Amino acid sequence: MKRFSMLIVISFSFLLFACSLNDNQNQVGTGTTDEPLTKIRLPMGFIPNVQYAPFYVAVEKGFFRDEGLEIDFDYSFETDGVTLVGAEELQFAIVSGEQVLLARAQELPVVYVMGWWQDYPVGITAMTEDEIITPGDLRGKKIGIPGLFGASYIGLQVLLQAGNLSEEDIVLDSIGFNQVEALAAGQVDAVVIYVNNEPHQLRSMGYDVTVIPVADYAQLASNGIITNEATIDQDPGLVRRMVRAAQRGLEYTIRKPEEAFEISKKYVEGLAELDQDVQMKVLLTSIALWQAERLGYSDPVSWENMQDVLIDMQLLSVPLDLGKAFTNDFISD
Amino acid sequence: MWNYCDNTPRTNPFGVPFLRTLIMAGVNTVRNEKSSTLSIRRPMRLRLIVVPLSVIVAFVGWEMLARLGDFPTFLLPSPANVWDKFLQVAGNGVLTRHLLYTLAEVLAGLALGVSVATVSGYILAKSPTVERLMSPYIVASQAVPIVAIAPLLVIWFGPGVLSKVLICALIVFFPVLVNTIVGVRSVPDELHDLMRSLNATRWQNIKLLEVPAALPVFLGGLRIGATLAVIGAVVGEFVGADRGLGFLINRARGQYDTALVFVAILALVVLALSLYGFVTLIESRLLSWQKRPERYKYS
Repeated sequence: MKRFSMLIVISFSFLLFACSLNDNQNQVGTGTTDEPLTKIRLPMGFIPNVQYAPFYVAVEKGFFRDEGLEIDFDYSFETDGVTLVGAEELQFAIVSGEQVLLARAQELPVVYVMGWWQDYPVGITAMTEDEIITPGDLRGKKIGIPGLFGASYIGLQVLLQAGNLSEEDIVLDSIGFNQVEALAAGQVDAVVIYVNNEPHQLRSMGYDVTVIPVADYAQLASNGIITNEATIDQDPGLVRRMVRAAQRGLEYTIRKPEEAFEISKKYVEGLAELDQDVQMKVLLTSIALWQAERLGYSDPVSWENMQDVLIDMQLLSVPLDLGKAFTNDFISD
Repeated sequence: MWNYCDNTPRTNPFGVPFLRTLIMAGVNTVRNEKSSTLSIRRPMRLRLIVVPLSVIVAFVGWEMLARLGDFPTFLLPSPANVWDKFLQVAGNGVLTRHLLYTLAEVLAGLALGVSVATVSGYILAKSPTVERLMSPYIVASQAVPIVAIAPLLVIWFGPGVLSKVLICALIVFFPVLVNTIVGVRSVPDELHDLMRSLNATRWQNIKLLEVPAALPVFLGGLRIGATLAVIGAVVGEFVGADRGLGFLINRARGQYDTALVFVAILALVVLALSLYGFVTLIESRLLSWQKRPERYKYS
C-alpha cells in the first residue's frame, strides 16, 4: 500500500513537471483562431500603473494578437529588463533612453526601436509658497530625489545646468520613492518627480505646488521599447510586429483616453479604488508627453542631448555610436 | 567535574582550579600540556592551509567559468575584471569613502541594538511576567521582514544616517535579546544560593556571577548580530541613501557595472567577516578562563 502511494506521488510529480515544461517564455500558444502566438515577456520597469495604458489597450483590443504576439507583463526593475534583453534572454523591454546609452557603454547590445514618450517626464515640484519656479530658484534648497541614479538624477542634473548650478549649490537627499510624503511632511524643499504623477497626487491632497519640467529646458530621449541586436538580425519581422502593435495601442489611447482608462483597471489592481479624477489626470498628462507627429519616432537630437548630459555627468567616458543605439526603421507611418 | 574526597569542588564557580588541584597536577602537567598543545596545533595548521587553498580554488573556478562560458562582463565579470575595478575605486578613494560610511552605520546600529537588547534581555530574564507581556510584540517585530519596514523608517526618520542606524539596531536586537535571556537564565540556582549565602549585593550578583556566566551565550548572539548589522545597513542604503556600499551597489547596477557590484559585495563580505572575527577575538579574551581547566586534565 505504501509502495502504491509512493508510485502515485511520483507519477503525479512527473505529470506536474511535464506540464511546467510548457511554461516557457517563447511558448507558442494559440489564439482564438488557432494561429500560433509568440509569447513575449515584457519588463515594464515599474509597478502596474495607468501610465502603461497603451500596452494594456493593445492587449485588450487584440493589437498584439493581430501581430501574432501574446504579451506577459513583467514588473521587475528597469535595469533588470535591460540586462535580460542585453543577455538575449528576453527580446523586448520598456526602458528610459539613458539606460540604452549606459548599457551600450558596458557592451550590452541593446537597441531602442520605438520612442513612446516624446518629452522627458522628470521634473521638480515644490510648494507654491516656496516660490521655486525656475531652476535658478533651487539654489540653497534641500531637494529630495529617489536615488542618485536613473532618469530622476539625470533630469535633476539638466535642471541644475539650466539654472547655472551644481550639486554643491543644493542639498541633496536620497529619499527613495517617498517624494509625496517627504514634501508633504516638510522634510525637503522640493522633490524630483514625474510631472504627470506626483503633482496631481499632491494637489489632490490639498497642496498647492509648482512644477519645473525638464522638458522645458532640454529634449532628451525618454521611455520606449528596446530590443537587442541579435533579435534585429535574426527576426526583424518580430520587431516590426511588436512596434506596430504598440504604436496602435498608443494611438488608440491618445484618441480614446476614457476607454483606455477603463481598460487599465483590468490590469492595474486597485486602480478602480483610487481617486479617479487624479488617475485620469495622470493619464491625460502622460498623453500630452506622448504626442508626436509621427508616433514612435526617435529624434536624433534628443539622443545627442542625452549623450552630452551623460558625458557631463561622467557617466559616459567617450561618445558612443548613436546610430547603433536607436533606430526608426521599424516605425510604421 | 569531580570533587575531592571531602566533597569540596576541584574548581571555583568560574572554572578556575583551586590551589591543591594545581599542586596535584605535578609531573603530569608537562606531559598533558605537550599532548594538548600538539592536539591544538594540528587543527590550526590544517585550517591555515585549507582555508586559503579553498579560496584560491574558488577564484580559479570563477575565472575558468567566466572564460570558458564566454560570459559578457555585464553578466559575469571575471576575477581579473573585478580586481581591475577594485584597484580603480580603491585608488580614487570611492570604495574607502563608502565602506567607512557603511561601517559607521553598522557600528552605531550595533551599539544601539546591543545596548537596548542587553538591558531588555536582562529584564525579561528576571521577570517572567514582563516576558509574557512583551514576547508577542518582540516576536512580531522579527516576523516582519526588514525590507518592508525600511521604507517606513526612511519616511519617519529621514534618509540620513539615523534611519540606517535604526534599521541595523532592529535587525541586531532579537538575536542579542534572546541570547541574553538564555545566558542569564542559564546560571545554576546553586550559584545564586552561594552568592546569597555570601550576602552579595545585587550589583555584585550581576558583576561577579550573572555577567561572567551569561557571557559565552551573549557573545554568541553578538557574533550573529554583527553580521546581521551589515545586512541592515545595506537594506537601509538600498531604500534611500547617497553613500555607503549599498548605495554603491545600486549605482553600479544603474550603470550596468557588474564588476563594481562584485567589488562592493566582496567589501561587504570582508566587513562582515572582520566584525565576526573581532567579536570572536573579544570572546577568546573574555572567556579565556573557560579554557584553563583543560590544561590540568588528568590521564
